[in-house]
Amino acid sequence: MTNRNGRLGAAAKYVAGHSLDGLIAASNGLNNFLESNAVYVLSGVRPIGESAVVLDRDGHSILILAPSWDGERAAALSATDETIATDDLAAALAVAVKKHRLNVERTISVGLSLLGQGLVDRIAAALGGLPKAENELARDLARVRTPEELQTAEQAAWIAERGYERLLEFARPGLREYELAAELYCFTKKLGAEDNFLLMSASQHNLAVRAAGERILDVGDIILSEITPCYRGQFAQICRTTVIGEPLPVVREKYAILQEAMGAGLKAGRAGSTVADVTRAINGVIAKAGYGQYCRPPYMRVRGHGLGITSDRPGDVVDTNERVLESGMVFVMHPNQYIPESGYLMCGEPVVVTDQGCRALTRRPAELDVIRV
Amino acid sequence: MLTMQPSVTIGSYTWAQDRLPYDEFSLRLDALHAAMDRNNWPAVLVYGDVREHAALAYLSNFIPRVRWGMALLPRNGDARLLCAMSTRDLPAMRTLTWIADVRSGMGPEWDKAFDPWFERFAGADAQRLGTLGFDIMAPALHDAVRRSLGARFVLHRADDVAAVPPQHKRPRELTMMRASCKLVETAAKAFVDSWRNSGAPETAALDAERVARSLAAQDVRTLISFDGGRTLAPYQGRFEKKAGPLVGYLAVKLMGYWADLFVTVDERRTPALDRTERALDALIAAVRPGARTADVYAKAMQALAPSPLHPALGGSVGHGIGLSLNEGPALRAVGNADLVEDGVYTLHAGIADAASGNAIVSAIVRNTANGADVLARFPPVIPA
Repeated sequence: MTNRNGRLGAAAKYVAGHSLDGLIAASNGLNNFLESNAVYVLSGVRPIGESAVVLDRDGHSILILAPSWDGERAAALSATDETIATDDLAAALAVAVKKHRLNVERTISVGLSLLGQGLVDRIAAALGGLPKAENELARDLARVRTPEELQTAEQAAWIAERGYERLLEFARPGLREYELAAELYCFTKKLGAEDNFLLMSASQHNLAVRAAGERILDVGDIILSEITPCYRGQFAQICRTTVIGEPLPVVREKYAILQEAMGAGLKAGRAGSTVADVTRAINGVIAKAGYGQYCRPPYMRVRGHGLGITSDRPGDVVDTNERVLESGMVFVMHPNQYIPESGYLMCGEPVVVTDQGCRALTRRPAELDVIRV
Repeated sequence: MLTMQPSVTIGSYTWAQDRLPYDEFSLRLDALHAAMDRNNWPAVLVYGDVREHAALAYLSNFIPRVRWGMALLPRNGDARLLCAMSTRDLPAMRTLTWIADVRSGMGPEWDKAFDPWFERFAGADAQRLGTLGFDIMAPALHDAVRRSLGARFVLHRADDVAAVPPQHKRPRELTMMRASCKLVETAAKAFVDSWRNSGAPETAALDAERVARSLAAQDVRTLISFDGGRTLAPYQGRFEKKAGPLVGYLAVKLMGYWADLFVTVDERRTPALDRTERALDALIAAVRPGARTADVYAKAMQALAPSPLHPALGGSVGHGIGLSLNEGPALRAVGNADLVEDGVYTLHAGIADAASGNAIVSAIVRNTANGADVLARFPPVIPA
């Protein structure tokens, strides 16, 4: 078995260890940055359309993907033994399952639940049933980044920081939000990012960050940006707050609360602690400042989250998540918060878990930045 | 064309009430109401996700930037829109649609937002509800819908009955499509200009994307050939210089409506260029109300002969385009759909073979009683 991807080997061990016939891992091709993409985890290929990796009991692996014309690119990138390009995933899966003598009842699946119901029905008809779902497997196998992935995530963080520097250069009164977003998006792409989950919006008093719209930037605006480039499969997110013109003293004062909360979260995020511990550390600072009743939606969403498409572990940073942090896990920590006097403010970094706490992958921590006018 | 789906769409999607006032949606809903009356559906559930949302956008103007959205449209009474966004994000979501009642359908919000809306229809017997777009809905959400509705309602697939959006474009839609066609031509010109300056296909594609986005494109998709037009690939961030010919694909979305073009730039005139141009002319000449898709396909293939169709075109020489980048009907060897008046179609002709060379050309046309009205076309470019 070719094993350019250790995750494929780990999945093969899982199949053998559980006396299974095989595994079918599927992707809907939608690239949700909050989800693990099982096909990417196992094959190293970011698919354009619906796709699947089939792994049999002997460790033989096949990538099946749509559209049919994408086969050469996928074959060059894929860690699997074979690559089959098709415009009919259900039919191609049926052929592979038959060829490798996989009994559907002794086969498990990952990610079929993300496909459309129509396609799932066709797959069930083609296979004579659906394999048992073990949807946590891919995200569990990939929950700790490899040294290479960590290095790539650091490069993604570097791109994010350069993107933010470009925002500081380019943003000015009179510019529309979507024009700024377009510049930022293309700038990070030029630096090698293949994708960017970019939210960027401005207001004199923000309720939340949102995607860029038609609004024309003005003096006194607070620009919120969530810049999330994806570089070779690794997303890294930074959250920043920028004021056009001199900010009001109250904005500086409230921003310091978020920075303190970030510091508390970094310290709490040691290997062996839980995600809930991190959340409580962050919320504790914000509550101490008098905003405990705002530590819930719609005044914030979560205090951070895992980053697909490799693995979205450790999950959402919320006080009900008791998952234990492991050294090498990567996620974004962001004590973003609506505060009545200042509006919504953003402060966040991509971090890696270590025995001493979380380490930011960025070089310059979030500050309240000012665009002079 | 299928292209790499970004993790979020970054353009401005605010409901443009001057371009698409509420009366436009009211007129669109009239046809749906007629279908509801014929089928005895007191409500229709319209689902769309970040990739395919034509029916949802047509009826509600809502286009999910991530995940999904679902409009609950009653025959009488107020509509509701559910989106897979946090309650924090709802104020922003409300600017994207005429539907005033926008709720989160995420996690625990589902039961609060979905179930109570249906109480108005409950009766002694199970009621019928129409569904649009449910084929692409993930099974977990499908199960949640069924669990919530229980035995009180029976779901009926409405996609074929209601035909939303219809193949013919409405007058305001044609205005939008002319604007998106103009934008894709502008971006295609930037593509070629950049290629001439840089010789790097990805630099050219990114420059075209930058131009389109700066002119308010809501989404931009590109595909590039790294091997002189034999295959196409999504963005790879390589920016290397490559010998020609340049073959690329560019799609832009403006005010919800897509337009796309293939671009071919070659240093010399090749048999592939000659035949693909002739095939495109044949396609344009074959478009008229009532034309059969297989007949139109056959006309193109006659002009391409003896070469087969470029593999990147996936066996199709075009299809409808509008709120979806891939609307029906597909122009294939099999299938017998009719092209309709005021339908808008993207037409593709391409060859990749060692003897003739590699080229793909395309045009977008509106089907009129007098034949095709060309809205966008990018002929192959042969530098002097």
